[in-house]
Amino acid sequence: MPSSQKNLSALCSLPPGATGRVCELTGDDSFCQRVREMGFGEASLVTKISGTSTSLCLVNGTRIALNHRAAMSILVERLPDNAH
Amino acid sequence: MKLPAHITPPIRRRPGTTSDRTPVYAMVGNPNCGKTTLFNALTGLRQKVGNYPGVTVEKKMGTTYSQHGRPIQVIDLPGAYSLAARSPDEAVLRDVLFGRREDTPQPDRIICVVDAANLERNLYLVHQILDLGRPVIIALNMMDMADASGLKIDPAALERVLGVPVIACEAVRGRGLVELRLAMSRVELPLARHRWDVPAPIASAVAELQAALTEGDARSPLVARAEALLLLTDFDSVRVAGSKPLSPRTNGILAHWRQRWTGEGTDWSAALIRSRYDSIGVLCRGTVVRTREQGPSVSDRIDAVLCHSVWGWAVFGVIMAALFFSIFSLAEPPMDFIDAKFAGLGNWVKSAMAPGDLRDLLVGGVIGGVGPVVKFLPQILILFFFVGLLESTGYMARAAFIMDRLMGKVGLSGRSFIPLLGSYACAIPGIMATRTIENARDRLVTILVAPLMSCSARLPVYLLMIATLVPGDTLPAAKKAGIMLAMYALGTGGVFFFAWLFKRTLFKSAPPHMIMELPPYQPPRFKEILRHMLERSWLFLKNAGTIILAISIVLWFLTTYPKLPDPAATATEQLAHSFAGRAGHLIEPVIKPLGFDWRIGIGLVTSFAAREVFVSSMGVIFGVEGRDEDTAPIRDALRAARWPTGAPLFTPLVCLVLMVYYVFAMQCMSTVAVVKRETNSWRWPLFQIAYMTGTAWLVCFLFYQTGHALGY
Repeated sequence: MPSSQKNLSALCSLPPGATGRVCELTGDDSFCQRVREMGFGEASLVTKISGTSTSLCLVNGTRIALNHRAAMSILVERLPDNAH
Repeated sequence: MKLPAHITPPIRRRPGTTSDRTPVYAMVGNPNCGKTTLFNALTGLRQKVGNYPGVTVEKKMGTTYSQHGRPIQVIDLPGAYSLAARSPDEAVLRDVLFGRREDTPQPDRIICVVDAANLERNLYLVHQILDLGRPVIIALNMMDMADASGLKIDPAALERVLGVPVIACEAVRGRGLVELRLAMSRVELPLARHRWDVPAPIASAVAELQAALTEGDARSPLVARAEALLLLTDFDSVRVAGSKPLSPRTNGILAHWRQRWTGEGTDWSAALIRSRYDSIGVLCRGTVVRTREQGPSVSDRIDAVLCHSVWGWAVFGVIMAALFFSIFSLAEPPMDFIDAKFAGLGNWVKSAMAPGDLRDLLVGGVIGGVGPVVKFLPQILILFFFVGLLESTGYMARAAFIMDRLMGKVGLSGRSFIPLLGSYACAIPGIMATRTIENARDRLVTILVAPLMSCSARLPVYLLMIATLVPGDTLPAAKKAGIMLAMYALGTGGVFFFAWLFKRTLFKSAPPHMIMELPPYQPPRFKEILRHMLERSWLFLKNAGTIILAISIVLWFLTTYPKLPDPAATATEQLAHSFAGRAGHLIEPVIKPLGFDWRIGIGLVTSFAAREVFVSSMGVIFGVEGRDEDTAPIRDALRAARWPTGAPLFTPLVCLVLMVYYVFAMQCMSTVAVVKRETNSWRWPLFQIAYMTGTAWLVCFLFYQTGHALGY
């Protein structure tokens, strides 16, 4: 399904405990590159642990903190609770 | 897996034997994967370790020995997620591996330290390093943590696939060190059987760039290939190539391909990274098994509280309050002990020696100058104990997380808070830690404001002023801690104000993205903390025995000579007649509006060397005035000090104003030197002196004049 048809939301709006699949990175090139290099690129699974302005997430077993601007630049598709 | 025909394969050379010279190993890996712990274990050195990313920001060199006793040089490099360097500390890693640092030998071999609990992400850097075609040893560190998180890794399988030695180890417990040393002792190491498919649309560009870099930019073929891949991953070619500009041919090829891909809508950088991760995924499929699904870990449960939007702040406040309360409540007995010993020593010298200049020098210059500073050692140790606890448990990164929102309001990110928090101990390592900040403007702002955080050198000044402020020790420890906390809060407030101001005027830029790894919590490593405390004590005492002693002796001379011809002159008249007295009177008009007299002025000038010198200067100056009496605590001498009118000099208002002055003023030569080195210019340290000391004067002026007008 093309990304435009998916129900995408910014990572910061993912509720704590929910898991999403990264679908699109919208930040500047430098940020996108670093996020991808840290294994946080498109298709990776991310679980939100806590936070609204600054988000704490779990990616591949690693806790990653992102500020609001960074979390706004990562668009995820929320997965059903039992999907991951 | 075969390379496409248009890509020049890395040269399969046998690594040279190591019999002719000392082999050089570079130790590389992601931030916080245990490189420095392993480096210390191998070399016996004691470089600082901590449980947060960015402890090592510069290369460290040491020597270990092979199983046959031959020396092996080891270079510990700052952590990085990729060879495409984003920040100054990551650039150190890239430049050493590419042989661009003149002060560092290009490593013959590389030890890739890998956090086994985050294998895939750590293998990304390893993957890039294998492109360099140099002999590599992989140290699979933190195997216990991988096991605890339900990951079973087969090092032998990984070794078979990659063709390089893979050693499982736990650097903290010293496990795997013998095997690692054996691998390092091998005369020859196999080269990796590392092959991966560069995405087809990009492969031609890599080949062209590699040829151009080899022929036009004098790179070796393997470095040229690795650099070609980096040039296509990183959008900033200056950042990849370093200060030496690329040849027009290379630039032309790069521009051509970028233009073409942009036209076609190809995201070449994303394609390269994805391709590497696909290759790593294949690698891991046969070597890693998840034995069980991991539920919330202990760290997750602790983070639920410490990173909570309300509880996180509450815990942060409690930690800070506990720190300041401990400084007052726990340090008093040892401080009194040191004070009594120095007083006893002074009295003994007085009784043992005949009156004269030599006795005055020993009592007033040496004991009276050094003693009041050494007295504060217990409190400085308590401060370093707390900072060590925060660093070793992993709380530093959480503090950055909590503070991010506040930092965002002034245009910085939580990443800037780690150097600032470190500056509570000392601004110098704090300023060096800014190398982890990617944005150059944000880094400079953080450097400029970091010395406003109250460092350990301010502690003696604050404590002396609080002691002078409160006669007879009548104030409970909690209230004294409250005054101290207010000074620390004032400095922190200054940091936020000036960061906000600079980000809106001199260094306008968009608010930064922050993405930061939070390490798992670890039990405090008390041995490391104790060692760090001892090192700081030694540094403090060394400082007291050298710089402070020298300044005290010079100051004693300047306060003693020339002598008044009249032997009946009082000590105060003699002091006013001395060199220091005359110089002090010159600067008095500038500081009198702040409530300070010329004697305090001398302390302000001498303490530009280091803030704690103010305490020793007060000891010498007011010791000179009372040199005929028994040696008394310095606070009593300060309370007895008078203006010529007979009014007390150190009123509560003046004590507070002096503390405020030291909160803001730039009074540290070492910090000035480090800022000059880190910014590579005199412009910023001079600006820093001007804005900080100017602010100190202005705030103190307003504070004193308002207080004075209100009758204090």
